[in-house]
Amino acid sequence: MQPHEIDSALTLARTRRHFFRDCGVGVGAMALGSMLSRDTLAKERHNPLSPKKPHFPAKAKAVIYLFMAGAPSQLELFEPKPELNKLHGQKVPESFTKGKRFAFIKGDAKLLGSKRTFEKAGKCGMDLSELLPHHKEVADEICWVRGMKTDVFNHGPAKCFINTGSPQFGRPSMGAWLTYGLGAESDSLPGFVVLQSGPRGPRGGASLYGSGFLPSVYQGVPFLKGANPILDLAPPPGVDTKKQGEFVDAVNDLNKLRHDATGDPEIQTRIAAYEMAYRMQTSAPELMDLSREAKKTLDMYGAVQGKPSFAANCILARRLVQRGVRFIQLYHTDWDMHGGAIDLTKPLDNICKEIDQPCAALIKDLKQLGMLDSTIVVWGGEFGRTPMGESRETIGRDHHIDAYTMWLAGGGFKPGAMYGKSDEIGYNVVEDQVHVHDLQATILNQMGMDHTKLTYRFQGRDYRLTDVHGKVVKELLS
Amino acid sequence: MPLTRLACAAIALVAVSRSAESAEKVDFGRDIRPILSDKCFKCHGPAVQKSKLRLDDRDAAIKKDAIAPGKHTNSELIVRVLLADDDKGRMPPVGVADRLTPDQVTKLKAWIDQGAEYPPHWAFVAPRRPSIPVSRDPKGSDPSHPIDAFIHARLAQERLKPSAQADRATLIRRVALDLTGLLPSPKEVEDFLKDESPNAYVKVVDRLLASPHYGERQARHWLDLARYADSNGYTIDGPRQIWAYREWVINALNADMPFDQFTTEQLAGDLLPNATLQQKVATGFHRNTSFNEEGGTDAEQFRVERTVDRANTTAAVWLGLTAGCAQCHDHKYDPFSQKDYYRLYAFFDNCDEPTLPLGGPPDLEKQIADVQTRLAAARLSGNDEEAKKLIAELKKVQSQAPTTLVLRERPKQRQTFVQIRGDFLRKGDEVQPAYPTAISAASAGKRLTRLDLAKWLTSTANPLTARVTVNREWQKFFGRGLVETENDFGLQGNFPTHPELLDWLASEFQNPSPTPPLKREGLKTKDAPLRGSVFFPTPPPFLGEGVGGRGSWSLKRLHKLIVTSSTYKQSSSMRKDLTERDPRNLLLGRQTRLRLEAEIIRDASLSASGMLNPKLGGPGVFPPQPKEVFAFTQSNHPWVESKGPDRYRRGMYTYIWRQSQHPLLTTFDAADAQVTCTKRTRSNTPLQALHMANDPVFVEFANSLGGRIEAEGPPDDAGKISFAYRVCFARTPTSAEAQRVQAYLDAKRKADPKTAWIAVARVLMNLDEFITRE
Repeated sequence: MQPHEIDSALTLARTRRHFFRDCGVGVGAMALGSMLSRDTLAKERHNPLSPKKPHFPAKAKAVIYLFMAGAPSQLELFEPKPELNKLHGQKVPESFTKGKRFAFIKGDAKLLGSKRTFEKAGKCGMDLSELLPHHKEVADEICWVRGMKTDVFNHGPAKCFINTGSPQFGRPSMGAWLTYGLGAESDSLPGFVVLQSGPRGPRGGASLYGSGFLPSVYQGVPFLKGANPILDLAPPPGVDTKKQGEFVDAVNDLNKLRHDATGDPEIQTRIAAYEMAYRMQTSAPELMDLSREAKKTLDMYGAVQGKPSFAANCILARRLVQRGVRFIQLYHTDWDMHGGAIDLTKPLDNICKEIDQPCAALIKDLKQLGMLDSTIVVWGGEFGRTPMGESRETIGRDHHIDAYTMWLAGGGFKPGAMYGKSDEIGYNVVEDQVHVHDLQATILNQMGMDHTKLTYRFQGRDYRLTDVHGKVVKELLS
Repeated sequence: MPLTRLACAAIALVAVSRSAESAEKVDFGRDIRPILSDKCFKCHGPAVQKSKLRLDDRDAAIKKDAIAPGKHTNSELIVRVLLADDDKGRMPPVGVADRLTPDQVTKLKAWIDQGAEYPPHWAFVAPRRPSIPVSRDPKGSDPSHPIDAFIHARLAQERLKPSAQADRATLIRRVALDLTGLLPSPKEVEDFLKDESPNAYVKVVDRLLASPHYGERQARHWLDLARYADSNGYTIDGPRQIWAYREWVINALNADMPFDQFTTEQLAGDLLPNATLQQKVATGFHRNTSFNEEGGTDAEQFRVERTVDRANTTAAVWLGLTAGCAQCHDHKYDPFSQKDYYRLYAFFDNCDEPTLPLGGPPDLEKQIADVQTRLAAARLSGNDEEAKKLIAELKKVQSQAPTTLVLRERPKQRQTFVQIRGDFLRKGDEVQPAYPTAISAASAGKRLTRLDLAKWLTSTANPLTARVTVNREWQKFFGRGLVETENDFGLQGNFPTHPELLDWLASEFQNPSPTPPLKREGLKTKDAPLRGSVFFPTPPPFLGEGVGGRGSWSLKRLHKLIVTSSTYKQSSSMRKDLTERDPRNLLLGRQTRLRLEAEIIRDASLSASGMLNPKLGGPGVFPPQPKEVFAFTQSNHPWVESKGPDRYRRGMYTYIWRQSQHPLLTTFDAADAQVTCTKRTRSNTPLQALHMANDPVFVEFANSLGGRIEAEGPPDDAGKISFAYRVCFARTPTSAEAQRVQAYLDAKRKADPKTAWIAVARVLMNLDEFITRE
């Protein structure tokens, strides 16, 4: 039996008992007028998103994943390598590249030193480049993972891999797994929300935040720019909130009559879905409206009211957590700096400016609101970039899977920890490697889920986010 | 017969059965293997043998004293499973699996005492036609339909009665949606209600089976398996032309092409002697794989991925096996070794993947291939400018004629190797194409081809294809297969709820009874009126019968058999006694309400609104969709909204960009077109409510339905409300429903008399019943 069917079988009796209220009471009036709706009704309803118990007590209850799409260069941001600078222009020693495959680089690639200057930040002494001045202020809040390793070197498959644990498209993403396992605490917003900024969407599209073979209620819902962030959120022209309320009342009253005739509990779920959809029509525009945020807050993030940006998305992410959303993923493009159209000079300066201040502000803001302990912030791309340069019209770096940097903050990740070390040119991890599956296992662990037990039976096999791999990296945890 | 493997929700039911069964013989496949497979095989099975012990092999298990046939007290297996949790020898070890339940231990003991036999897995033994059960109830009459005989006999064992037949209105809506995916028109409903002849229902069924929309409805199911899309997938997700394949499927199903031929042409049409254009088009089945156009990709790596997908899809669709597990290691549960996997893979390892023009100048295929080669080179070197130019050139070259993607055997054979841990760079032993050893012992005297594979799949030597196919067809009409794990007939799959019925259907599918099993009704397959289409002006030259003779492997015949059973025609309303004793309706004491698939929701809305454009086949179309759909993808694909009649085509013709499908499709659980999809989920979410309530497309449908109610309905309100119910639900409203609709209508009329019926139409199209097949 599929897990969700167990759910429906087990909730059958319960929902029947509680079903249902006087059909004279309109849904619209209830949702608008009463605090009752959230606390009591939500519990009684057959809702696949209602909160579920974790496997063990959780450290964190929400995740904000800042996805740097295209893959940032660790060698320009986090990893000063004097030896690499010294060897600049020389062929890479064969001992490093033997048996390795690259997307674009051919055998004769030469090492590329970094032109960026670095400085030790915070008590932890993390190396941060000139490109990330605001990160320096929060260096001691962050758990730095400098020995990341992934398996695949093309963008699409690699993005898929870190999101779903598999390079093949079609598996559930981490946000889908977590909302499937834990439900969500919001009854007026989806459990998993995706935000986007930058010149284009991430390569891979909906598969990156899809629900794969899990029911689609667990898929990430992309929020669009503007006051109505969800597709089809706004009622049709000529239908105002009151009329929409009357419409929902009529639909649900007639659905209730059909339920009485057929006894099918799916109709109850449908009624609940129309109620929640109606609430979303109020709650989502309210969420997107940053005019209630203090000027001071907007300034701290570097956001401008009414102007979509990564900074604005960071504020939205915090607001989503405050409203009980489980998993929020922000994609920001484009970090794919091969040289040519975008390279490691001005384009890198610009994108770092776009993200540096908001990332730091998000950590500070969560902390001052007392939310950092229970919110995991994840930062990183789908892989890193090579120590060798690529010569197109201008200089850049190719995709690198063997050593790169990501960071995490909050949610029980150890503040100021620096874990993992790469060799003198930043080619391979030499100490404390963290594989993508390990990172996934560790994030799930902090959410109270055992990654080996969060499974779903599909095609005769119990699938999980970490496939058959992954171990919780205790060293990253407080 | 008990339902041991059928999951915890059926506990009450199992409890009923158990008392009667205790003295019965333990069945290894049903009762024992699932325990061993769940608890033991991971470490002591086909792939791994810790302490050199394997429990999947009787002789090996006896040799290691794990099992002493006849004496459970001397069997180490029993000793170990009974050890305390803190004893290191407990099996399965703490942390690996939970300990066995007392019930499981009892069964193991009984099995050992009865001789510890290991008969082969049921699904790997060819089905034998079982005799049709006879009612044991002296007063009861035998059902006239074989399906009912099996279903009722099983229900009678639990002292349960089948449900009454659904009323005629529900029935015609149900069977029309299941067979054609469109709502019956009010006239069709009225005609059926008035028809007092005994074969009134069969007449409706025959009409629907002969409708060209039957082929569309059934083709969409098949396209799920084929992972059909109009784009290449991965990151760039560029466009592709393969709609001719979709059209081929529609035509083949409308003509009731026997399933064995249907199989052969899709897997190996190119290898048939004097292959026709259409037989080549059919090989598009395995060209629906994704294709990575990203710069800097290793062409061989992604060719291997496509080949892997072909092997996995073939195994899932025809064999119901999860072969993909064996890509990296021997299957942990099924007797499917890694070598077996690459032998299956080898059938598909020798294909070229040309673009086939359907017209144009004679050298067009070569022209296309040349540009493609140059494009691949530009991509590999990351030369974006050059690639862009070549894409434009390709588009121009291809614009000379419609094209489609096909498979073609290479003249020079590739060598195929086992890929160690599934890594194509690590070559193991060389392998030759061969059938899985667990189900086919015969060794071939020659090198086997895809054509051999296709023929073997539908031969009597293969025990799986007929069962897997009838099971998936059954799923269309009941929401669940007789084997619930429709894509896993292996050892980890569920045991059939009705094993004899499954085997009877599989036998009947391959070798139809000489006398029609339906009294008086006959089972003629009508020749569907095949319409000409863009480049298939004449119907394809089908054989007309499968190798088993007239009617063998006929899907229309199978569908007719199913939908004419009382079991199918039962009411879907919940029944208290069934809800208590069989809450998941495994025994089919009633029908099941099923939410319609994404495309069919559109189709039903189109038929209710009267806007449907019934045109068959052709390239994909672009119904309205919000431009924001592409905000989250790498490429902003063109979506030039279709104007005129193309705006109102059925859902299956909506252009499918794999990575940014139309929101209707993603919201209502359409197949993701990444890998084969053997069963869709049916979720029920707030985003669906928003879509039905507010999406401009559905608002447009509601407007049109509102107009239709006013124009076509009787003059009075009550009559109009009845008409609207007839259009949307085929039935008449109850008085409570009519009252509620009237109240809403009155309120809307006060606000704006002109749009009051549109508002009513919008409510009706948003009801759960509208998007449900009851």
